[in-house]
Amino acid sequence: MFSLGAKKPGVFKIGCVGPITGDQASLGLDQLHALQIAVDEANAKGEIIPGYRLEVVSLDDQHNPSQAVAMAKRLAADPLVLAVVGHVNSSCSLSAAPIYQNARIAQISPSSSNPEISRKGFDTFFRTCATDDIQAPQAAYFAFERLKAKKVFVIDDKTTYGKGIADEFEKEIRRLGASVLGHEGIIQGEKDFTPLLTKIKGLSPDLIFFGGMYPEGALLVRQAKSLGLSSQWLGGDGIYVSAFIDLAKEDAEGVYCTFIGADVSNMESAKRYLEIYTARFGQQRGPYSAYAYDAANIIIDAIRKAAKKDRPAVLAQVRVTKDFSGVVGLTSFDEKGDSSIQLIGVFQVRNQAFEYVGSARE
Amino acid sequence: MSHSEIFVQQLINGLTIGMIYALIALGYTMVYGIIQLINFAHGEIFMAGAFLGLTVFGLFSPALKLNSALMLILMFVSAMFVCGLLGGLIERAAYRPLRKSPRLSCLITAIGVSFILQNLMMLIWGPVNKSFPAFFKHSALSLGPLRITFMQGFIIITSLVMMSALHFFVTRTMLGKALRATSEDMTASRLMGIKVNRVISLCFLIGSGLGGAGGVMYGMYYNSISFHDGYLVGIKAFTAAVLGGIGNVPGAMLGGVALGMLEGLGAGYLSSEWKNVFAFLILVGLLLCWPSGILRKLRNE
Repeated sequence: MFSLGAKKPGVFKIGCVGPITGDQASLGLDQLHALQIAVDEANAKGEIIPGYRLEVVSLDDQHNPSQAVAMAKRLAADPLVLAVVGHVNSSCSLSAAPIYQNARIAQISPSSSNPEISRKGFDTFFRTCATDDIQAPQAAYFAFERLKAKKVFVIDDKTTYGKGIADEFEKEIRRLGASVLGHEGIIQGEKDFTPLLTKIKGLSPDLIFFGGMYPEGALLVRQAKSLGLSSQWLGGDGIYVSAFIDLAKEDAEGVYCTFIGADVSNMESAKRYLEIYTARFGQQRGPYSAYAYDAANIIIDAIRKAAKKDRPAVLAQVRVTKDFSGVVGLTSFDEKGDSSIQLIGVFQVRNQAFEYVGSARE
Repeated sequence: MSHSEIFVQQLINGLTIGMIYALIALGYTMVYGIIQLINFAHGEIFMAGAFLGLTVFGLFSPALKLNSALMLILMFVSAMFVCGLLGGLIERAAYRPLRKSPRLSCLITAIGVSFILQNLMMLIWGPVNKSFPAFFKHSALSLGPLRITFMQGFIIITSLVMMSALHFFVTRTMLGKALRATSEDMTASRLMGIKVNRVISLCFLIGSGLGGAGGVMYGMYYNSISFHDGYLVGIKAFTAAVLGGIGNVPGAMLGGVALGMLEGLGAGYLSSEWKNVFAFLILVGLLLCWPSGILRKLRNE
């Protein structure tokens, strides 16, 4: 082909899907910011493949599984989309995965931690975070051994993620020898949990485990305080978000949570990324930000190696990812698409910030 | 806590949210009583009240202390005032031109207005949950193991005062009489010299103002508000209005309190994951066996 002066380069697109409006918007936006940083860096280094630049397509699944399917179909229909970073929520990743599989689009989620997703045999699904079948038992171990919780109450939000982690937690802590006083579901988007908390107050457990996301988590700890409920709180990574503290304010003090990864803010390998992020998007960095950035770079790397506009070729490159040196460490994918990095960190809210307590099994 | 204490605590919690439902239900019931329209935009007006309260708080918080009476009065008065105007404006712009159209057109317009308001709120105040300042911290009155937080007491008392004022207005004043007359027979009222359109506007103004007050209380009680909260709370308040007998002012108050308590007991004793189901089961059950609500409307007497 003749090139006459400054010909406009063609584009390859990377999809990005998560909740970017609504109550969990901060998580979706955070994933998007990470991808934008990675793509801009790649474009700044020159054309990814001669004649081509990268572009981000951002779509909103509103953490609604049926919306996730619709968005996945939109990406699948666009031949320029080669791979996807997302979705944020397990329920959304799970419902969108068959669409990506049919379209041969590699999908890397930075945060969908429900173990079932990678066990359904989707050869297009990958994730950079650890899974809940590791997170929940370690959370139970931490609650039982370190917090000495002997009587616990379990609450979940009935989502793929929340119920998944709560069920695993309950199973493990029972096995360790604690008594589970009850396990109840709440409704996502609901505001009033006082009926359930009043009932829990009557049972006075040592610890309440919450499998769910931060909007409900914040309301739960607030309403528990105002009812005079003094049990300790432990949550999963769904509440490890600065917005949790913003919403729960001083009632968040002392709340523990586990996270499907390490404390990136103290990692040498993450330093440069965190500086770029802060300079561009401010201090409000979400927990999976670094995991989304690594997912994006694995995809960019795969596109570069595949060197053509061909989804199966990109997918093949993602699949053979081995010791990819990213912000959170060396990532490899196993045959299910799960990450080799499976560290579970524990944090506690102290002075209105999450402080790293250590790894759950220390 | 003993079983009976837990039961009483559940009732107190249910009463608090029930009072908020009741305030919102009044807006539905007054509008329905007068023009037989289910104003689906009312839930959004309620939510706008919560956001307005938050904005007013933001404006005055450098100057005034958190728990000062003046701050509370400013928040409530401005939210009620602006919501009242908003309600009046919506009536004037969206419903009045359709006064002679079939009822269904009005209903669909109401749903449309609800969408517009919801999206406007998202544009103005943003898509993420907003944290609402915590008034009274967690100070509470402890009666043995029972706790009534100052916030709960404040909500219950303020709602009671507002509802009594409304009841007095409707039953004891000339304007209230005009309101009742219009809801009874619009044509006859017009013939008697009542300015019907003005009465209808007034009805929207009062109903929306009360909804706005409910919004501020909702924000203060839950400390976290989001632009789409109005939908579910609105539907529940509507249920409360039907429960009490739609079109009936004391009925809406009673319906709100009853719904709040039943919901609380259902969630506390059966299962919290079915909390919303209880509200709507009550609605369905009631429509089946007692279609005109707890307080029947004594229209033909």
